Amino acid sequence: MRQGMVIDLKRCIGCFACQIACKAEHGTRPGTVWARVIKREYGTFPEVRRVSLPLLCMHCRKAPCVEVCPTGATHKRADGIVTIDADKCVGCRYCVMVCPFGSRHYQDADHTYFRGREPDPYEARAYAQHPTGVVEKCDFCVERVDRGLDPACVVNCPTRARTFGDLHDRESEVSRLIDERGAFRLHEELETCPSVFYLPP
Amino acid sequence: MPSADALRRHLTDLNLTYRPQREWVEGRGLLVVAAHFFSGVGAGAWLFSVALDFDAGLVISAAIVAGLAAPAHLAFLGRRQRFWRAALRPRNSWISRGVWGLAIFLAGAIPYALPAVRDSAFGPVALGVSLAGMTVVLAYKGFVYVASRAIPFWHQPLLPVLYIAYGLRGGAAALLVAGAVAGDVFDIGLLEVIKLWVVVSSAVLVLLYLALARRAGGAGRRSASELVAGKVSPAFYAGTILCGLVIPIVLGALGAATGASRGLLAAVGLSSLVGDFYIKYCIVKAAVYLPIVEDLPAPRRYGTRRAAAGL
Repeated sequence: MRQGMVIDLKRCIGCFACQIACKAEHGTRPGTVWARVIKREYGTFPEVRRVSLPLLCMHCRKAPCVEVCPTGATHKRADGIVTIDADKCVGCRYCVMVCPFGSRHYQDADHTYFRGREPDPYEARAYAQHPTGVVEKCDFCVERVDRGLDPACVVNCPTRARTFGDLHDRESEVSRLIDERGAFRLHEELETCPSVFYLPP
Repeated sequence: MPSADALRRHLTDLNLTYRPQREWVEGRGLLVVAAHFFSGVGAGAWLFSVALDFDAGLVISAAIVAGLAAPAHLAFLGRRQRFWRAALRPRNSWISRGVWGLAIFLAGAIPYALPAVRDSAFGPVALGVSLAGMTVVLAYKGFVYVASRAIPFWHQPLLPVLYIAYGLRGGAAALLVAGAVAGDVFDIGLLEVIKLWVVVSSAVLVLLYLALARRAGGAGRRSASELVAGKVSPAFYAGTILCGLVIPIVLGALGAATGASRGLLAAVGLSSLVGDFYIKYCIVKAAVYLPIVEDLPAPRRYGTRRAAAGL
């Protein structure tokens, strides 16, 4: 089994619902965004498109972050999801340096949303999952996946631009979309084999 | 930096074609540059101290690595109390190999720096251990950077050679300063000749490295441009070229022609050390990532005028 995601760039309207859903699901600290959306213009006049490009951890099959991690904190699960064990991470940020997708975030300070005030009960509970001095990133919502649910960004996408499933299952929706719609991946030339595929706009 | 500003900068960076590398050079990231500088200087100085039988140099080299390089590495970590975990994967990670190198070097160098141990039966063993550790310390830093394939400026086979060369010349420079302060304790003239040779060859290496980087695609060219004509150029020209290459070569040639005074040798050493720091700073600062997306597949022509006209 290898969990993966397909993002349809034709359907994505750049509403940032995935970004907000991710923050709500994980309660990440201010300044930390695991699921991001960037906007780019492509083509030349008169055939120009503005494309919203959702970015997240690509959960690469040959993840460079897993290879270089000196502590083994970054590791790959049997289902292909790359996760970080915060109790093992020493905060050397080598993984941040080698990630071609800018998907990793070093949690450097104990910020709260309301400056000068103690964290409210929601923040206190959420931030317990996000210790400082370590690196963190998207984990495909492993808690949800382990319960048989799709990641929060997939469930909350209003245009159903995201599809999550088993890339090894030829009958799965993700495999069908990849086969039928000419999916591509970012930085194929680096041979990291990302598990996130994009459908052309 | 306030978190909102950090997020804004991160998202701005992602929208740039060439996203700059910031983690290992800005803020506390400068500690990485300092750590790599001190570990190179310490390891290089150890080699020359052993070769020239300079006892005080042995103590200075071990002190640089133990007192400056190792603490700088530690201070950079987000969780210093777990630093030992960084040694757990030497088969995969160059950082782990570096930790082992530093530990092995200090395990051999600290005893060997003590005259009582040096002259004992344990002396050759300690020397062998220290030299093995020194080799790893000199070499690992370049390989740490080479592992980042997303930064073409670093993913160059010449980078480890450059780091080793600059480690050696940094060590020679530190000993020039120490020798000038301590007086005629070793053949400082021989070291000056070695130093001049290493400075000239490192100048060639820098040029070669830049030429290779320019051929490493758009991101490599962008980094090289940052170095020679961009935001990093003041540090490159003033630090790396002027202090690190021009002044040592001119003063070295002057010393060779007129007879080197201790003050002149100390000036060569200090100037060279500044250059050694700045080459490491510039290489890290000029690094940019490959664009996240170079180009997307051509957009489908839904509803364009050309399509409506049946073209």
